[in-house]
Order: sequence, then C-alpha cells, then structure tokens
Amino acid sequence: MFELLPHLLHQALFGALAAAGFGVLFNFGFRALPWCAAAGALALAVRTVGQDLAWSLEGASFAAAIVTSCSVSMLRKQLGPACNAVALAGCIPMVPGAFFGQALLGFLSVTAPNLVDAEATLILAVQSLLRVIFTLGAIGAGLLIPAHLLRNQDF
Amino acid sequence: MEQQQDPVIVRHRELERIANMALRAGRIMMESGASVSVVHGGVGMIARGFGVEDVGLRSGYASLEVTVTAGGNTITRMMQVGRLGVNHRLDQAIRRLAVRVSQGGMSVDEVEAEIGRLVQETPRHSAWVVAVAVGIACASFGRLLGVDWPAFVAILVAGTVGQYVRHQLLHNGVNVFIVAGLIAFLSATLGGVGSILLKSGTVNLAMMASILLLVPGVPSTNAQTDIMDGYPTMGSARAVWVLMIMVFASVGVWFAEALLGLRSL
Repeated sequence: MFELLPHLLHQALFGALAAAGFGVLFNFGFRALPWCAAAGALALAVRTVGQDLAWSLEGASFAAAIVTSCSVSMLRKQLGPACNAVALAGCIPMVPGAFFGQALLGFLSVTAPNLVDAEATLILAVQSLLRVIFTLGAIGAGLLIPAHLLRNQDF
Repeated sequence: MEQQQDPVIVRHRELERIANMALRAGRIMMESGASVSVVHGGVGMIARGFGVEDVGLRSGYASLEVTVTAGGNTITRMMQVGRLGVNHRLDQAIRRLAVRVSQGGMSVDEVEAEIGRLVQETPRHSAWVVAVAVGIACASFGRLLGVDWPAFVAILVAGTVGQYVRHQLLHNGVNVFIVAGLIAFLSATLGGVGSILLKSGTVNLAMMASILLLVPGVPSTNAQTDIMDGYPTMGSARAVWVLMIMVFASVGVWFAEALLGLRSL
C-alpha cells in the first residue's frame, strides 16, 4: 500500500492543479478555487485507488464522481448553491478528452489510403470511443445521483 | 392615446416587460453554463416574483421562449441566446438575484438595472491569468496521462499560448468550431515541437495533452444533466456540439502530426 502512496499523491496533486486551472477558465472566484482544487484532488485520489484495485476506468470514475459529489454536498453550508459546480469542476480532470481525440484520430486513420491492419485500428478507435461514452456517463451519473438524492439546492 | 389606457393593453405591456426581463436573466444563465432545469427555475422564480400565476418555458439551443399568465392575460415572448460558455460567478450572481426577486419587493426597473450591473461588474480573470491557468491545467492533464517532465514544460507553454489565442479569436467573433480546429493545430504543433526540442519520450501524448483545453467538459455533463432532467432535445443538441468540437480539434491534431512527420496525410 505504501509503495502506491507516491503515485496516489502525484495523481491527487495534478488532479488538483487541473481542476483549479479549469476553475479559473470557468471564472470561479479566488475563494472558490481551493475548493475546486480539493475536489479535483479527491476525485483523482479515489479514481487512482479504484484503478489500483483493478477496477475499470469507468467504474473508478463513477466511484470518484459519487465520492466527490457527496463530499461537496456536505459542504453545502459553506458553498451554498455553488456546491454542484465545485463538484463538477473537481471531476473535469477525469473527462477522457485524450481518449476522445484518440478515437476520432483512429476513425480518420481508417479512411487513410494503404492502411495496414485496418481491423486493429478500427477496434482501437471503437474501444476508445466506447470508453469515452461510458466514462462520461459514469461521471455524469456519479455527480447527479447524490445531488438529486441529497436535494442540493440550485438557488 | 385612448388605446394606451385600455387596461388589457396596459397589463399586456407590464407582462411583456416581466417576460423580457425574466428571459434576459435566463439567457445570461444559459450563456454562463447553467443547465436547462436551472434556467427554467430561475426564469420561473423571477416571473412569479412579479405576480405571474403561470409560467411556461421552452428552451432551444439558440433561443428561449416563455409564456406568462396573470389576471386572465397571457403573452408569449422569445429571446435569442448567444454562444454558450461558462461563467460561474455571473451564473451564481443571477441565481442570487432570482432568489431576491422571488421574495418580492423589487420593481421591474430595479431588476433590469441590477441585471445590467451584474453583467458589467461581475469580475472576470484577465486573459493572461486564464491562459497561464489553462496551461498549467493542460500540463497537469499531461502528467495524469503519463507524459514526462520535458513534455510537461512543452504542454504548459502550448496550452498557455493556445488559450490566449483562443480568447482573442473568440473575442473577435470567429466561429467556435474553426477556433477549435485552429487552436488544436497550433497547440499540438507547439506541444510537439517543444517536446521534440526538449528530448521528451512522450511526444504524441504531449500533442494530445496540449489540446485538452478544448475538451468541452461542462457542456458534455450538461448534456447528460439535461437529458436526465427531461430535456432530451437540448441535451442532444449539446452532445452534437461537443462531438463537432472534438471532430474539429482532432482534425487540427491530425494536421499537426502530419506537419511534424508523425503521420501521413
């Protein structure tokens, strides 16, 4: 377990930086940015633990989104209606953008002339696309289910 | 002149002002990244705060429509919605205003003035602060994907430059999809060249991480939220928009890889 700690801390640190960076892009105030960073760190830590336990990316992302959404919901008094947005910012580093790009580049490759091993290229592209769809679905569901069940206020 | 004293017409004009003002608030929320259910909630709260008895709403990707009923009078108004982005502080400020209006005690003029003030005065981070923050975020994404430290530096620069140029292009009204393609090409090329110059062993990953500023994370989760909340039309429109952005971004990366000799056209 202890040998995994540096990797876990690495993922949490860069999850926090990515969430805070996107928090600035989304125009979160400076007081809310540390919460975005904390949510990002938590989400990536949970996802990393899940993947270390040999869960799929989709399963680990779902667990991470649920834990992040529930944790942020417990801070409703401090964050107010912004808690859903903070949870979303925290889960942004888990959005599988690179897989999305790989999937589309793979589909573009399939149409290239003189393609070698078209089947493998196509299967890789389809795998990446399915991974994107399922992971996005897992993140969205993981964020929404606690917010609905705990009746987080939008206003 | 006599026509203006007609109580029905007077009431219609009052309703029209309420409808337009509520639509304006809804438009700002939508353009700031709120989901459809939040927009409908906010518009409904504002309209009911002025005594409207019944509110009906329809949201399209580029327009909002409201029908308000009060005292036996009904009107329907529609308002165009601009480019959908994310502005958390403005979104939250309008939501707080909706709560205040719903509690009563504000006039239409006061609310219109307050909406105008919020649009003007809600602070935004400067373009350079956002660019550097996005550069750090892209580089962090890169580390999460497994890039090495030389590539981290290259992605940081590529993401920062890409975000700054994106801001300038969008500010000048360039089409959002064309911007996605151009920025993907620019950032991926910068990330790739930087990684090669810094002798990184993860050039391909660095090029992909450099364009992650373009991945529309909020619209993709909003698409799902809208569908789950019972607005599949809007959710589907958002999903198609996300797909189109990623297609343009991928084509940009494709050309960048071809330019650097990593892929044939």
